[in-house]
Amino acid sequence: MKAQTILPVTAALFVAATLPAQNGLDPAKLGAPPTDTWPTYNGDYSGRRYSPLAKINQSNITSLTLAWIYRANGSGGAGGFGGRISATPVEVNGVLYFTMPDHMWAVDARTGREVWHYQWTSHGGDHIGNRGAGVYGNWLYFETPDCHLVSLNMKDGKERWHQPICDLDQYYFGSMSPLVVRNHVITGVSGDDLDRPGYIESHDPETGALQWRWYTVPQKKGDPGADSWPSVEAMRHGGGMTWLTPTYDPELNMIYVPTGNPQPVIAGKARPGANLFTASIVALNPDTGKMQWYFQSSPHDTHDWDATQTPVLFDGEIDGRPRKLVAQATRNGYFYVLDRATGKNISSNPYVKINWSKGVDANGSPIPNPAKQPQLDGALVSPNQGGATNWPPPTFDPDTGLFYVSASRAFSVYYIYDPSDKPEGWGGNDRGGWSESMLQAIDYKTGKVKWTHKWEDGGRSGLLSTAGKLLFAGDGSGNLVALDPATGKPLWHANLGSSVTNGPITYELDGIQYLVAGAGDTLVAFAMLR
Amino acid sequence: MRKGIWVAAMLFAPVIGGAQSPPAAREAFQKVCGACHSVDTVTAQGRTRDQWRESINAMVARGAKATDEEFAMILDYLTAQYPPGAAGRGAPAAFAGGGRGRPPAMSPGPADKQVIDEAAALRGRKVYAAECITCHGTHARGSERGADLIRSEVVLHDRYGSTIGPFLRNGHPTQTTPAAQLTEAQIVDLSHTLHQEVYNTLRAALEIQNVLTGDPKAGAAYFSGAGGCSGCHSPTGDLAHIGSRMDPPSLQQSFLFPGGRGGRGGRGRGGRGGESGSAHPVTVTVTPQSGAAVTGVLLHLDDFNVALRDASGDYHSFVRTASLKVVKHDPAEAHHELLDQYTDKNIHDIVAYLETLK
Repeated sequence: MKAQTILPVTAALFVAATLPAQNGLDPAKLGAPPTDTWPTYNGDYSGRRYSPLAKINQSNITSLTLAWIYRANGSGGAGGFGGRISATPVEVNGVLYFTMPDHMWAVDARTGREVWHYQWTSHGGDHIGNRGAGVYGNWLYFETPDCHLVSLNMKDGKERWHQPICDLDQYYFGSMSPLVVRNHVITGVSGDDLDRPGYIESHDPETGALQWRWYTVPQKKGDPGADSWPSVEAMRHGGGMTWLTPTYDPELNMIYVPTGNPQPVIAGKARPGANLFTASIVALNPDTGKMQWYFQSSPHDTHDWDATQTPVLFDGEIDGRPRKLVAQATRNGYFYVLDRATGKNISSNPYVKINWSKGVDANGSPIPNPAKQPQLDGALVSPNQGGATNWPPPTFDPDTGLFYVSASRAFSVYYIYDPSDKPEGWGGNDRGGWSESMLQAIDYKTGKVKWTHKWEDGGRSGLLSTAGKLLFAGDGSGNLVALDPATGKPLWHANLGSSVTNGPITYELDGIQYLVAGAGDTLVAFAMLR
Repeated sequence: MRKGIWVAAMLFAPVIGGAQSPPAAREAFQKVCGACHSVDTVTAQGRTRDQWRESINAMVARGAKATDEEFAMILDYLTAQYPPGAAGRGAPAAFAGGGRGRPPAMSPGPADKQVIDEAAALRGRKVYAAECITCHGTHARGSERGADLIRSEVVLHDRYGSTIGPFLRNGHPTQTTPAAQLTEAQIVDLSHTLHQEVYNTLRAALEIQNVLTGDPKAGAAYFSGAGGCSGCHSPTGDLAHIGSRMDPPSLQQSFLFPGGRGGRGGRGRGGRGGESGSAHPVTVTVTPQSGAAVTGVLLHLDDFNVALRDASGDYHSFVRTASLKVVKHDPAEAHHELLDQYTDKNIHDIVAYLETLK
């Protein structure tokens, strides 16, 4: 419950006068460029994490002031619970809503004062992280590690209902930030301990009732993708979890779902084939759950390289022609640009040096080198299991036309542990490693890296770009850093005491632009007061 | 008991984790493991020392960051505080032991998962061998004749026979012995056996097989030739008897990712290598525009600051500016550069060669 206000007195008075304006979210705000609200995981539907705000900009960034600090672990009774904030907060009508596994908080976006805190009584599940809340009108939605979708009243954090979204006994769990599209609350499932099929669901925002479910792997003979599996047994247990919030194009009415790795994770012997639609970007109709197209970024993955990195939507020019694009910097080290209406591949280029691919096929999907699949005596592979990037969200800045991603050049040795004919679960793993971390700025037109900024001491945070000609990132030493998006030159930093653990956000209230980042168990807010 | 992988190599450093006070170890545990996930996720399940080492290795591969001392302390702490529950491997100690005041298990799977009774599981194996093995296979993973029971929802939903029992009594299509002939106790025993097979499928139950597949002669040639290893190392000097001191998986990891610093995602070339107590720490020389150069063990380096400890033990910290010269020296640099050059055959040959240095 620690909230420190460090604003000058005048600002604090202003804040007090406008504090509890808790109305629901205007649906028009969903999908609009984020200014006074940040209403979705990515700020808007596009996944660009680009803010049109420019009160904080290159010319005044060194005047940025600490506004407040909120420590979440101080909340919820004695002892805290040791979590970290990997959620991107949503901000609606001056209140921030953010989550950790089993917990949601409402915090005053101007002062960091706690408005309410909700705790779910857990029945287990992997508590590795929670990516945040979805908003619809007066209601909030979040997933719990023990497989529930919970809806809360925005006003007071009181539970409205909860619905099961997966089976805990099958080692599924919930971690994804639900996506709200019109009257659909889209939920995903996590879990890779046992061999279960992944799926994505749509729920009624009023009741939580199931509207549709789409399996990421075929469920019976003859289903699309079934010929990429050796047997019904293999595909029905083929994984492809939906760990990450999709993006959405309202005009095309498609959601872009990134899918996870196939199961068994490392020992792929009993699942020869491409293993569709794991490690893919899949476009679905949000009203029906019907697949529109797919693109597989890691055919027959055996390195835990899920494709659950944000598919970022933007319009651009390719060969002089305007195109509707979707781009993804994938965990396996490739940067893909696709036509988001058709899924047709435009370019596939590694954004860090990798050693496992023999090039790309006619569809633009990489061709894995069999020698670099996990081996009994070990295969040195780059990137490692952590990936060339991971779930932390990238950003696309329309002003520079560059796509920015927290990247790693990493090596480890992949081993098969289970040499039997039917390995299950993982059947192997990677060990050890060496890595270097960097920010990569990628030109989507060429697929080439325009600039690299290496971090001396690691760093893998979510990113934010703004019209203030600023790119925000976290390094491995606990610094929140603002860089010049054109060159990668650091312009400002503040040490938060812990590395940035989520994607930073920004919003403007009462003419003041705020910047908020999660660092461990703490939200830290900066403000531009002049 | 096999030796651990590269964490074992780390522990050659003169660090006695056991001598650390539990509060310091607990603090290290909270800091390092709690940085990424709830610590209750970890302690919900008791493990042996080797299993804890496996867990730490897995976390290092996922980017856990700590000094060698901290990893050693955490290993000792977890081994002492969270041994396997009375129910044994893979079972959640929270339910076997209880009383630690911890919240419900936050490890993968349900909090009320079955706690294995080893003796019952052993008895159940006999039932399994007599009644089930022909169709469901040695490890219950199924065959052409029978379903995979590890993947069976009847099994995954079961607690102590709660769903397996009714299934066997009602629905089993090809059962050779009528279910009525299995006693309640036998069904419970069978349930323990099947859940044990499920737990043995989970990640913590896995191990490296055999990495000793290379050609020692080719390894020796690479060592003194293309690899350039003999420039710094000698089979009769620093590497004398290395094959007796390390098992092959540790050997493999230690030259690929030396100093036990590998695997900390993002640590890479930078960082706090100097804090590790390593025999060959990363050093740095900092030269201000006016004033003498200072050299010492690198403690911290980012875009904005650099800190080091000099030979007399004094701490120095600098703000990085254009006029401040910072030169880092990583004695393992040659190893990092080799990562782009080794073939997997080179790697296996080197392991085979080092293994001969008994």
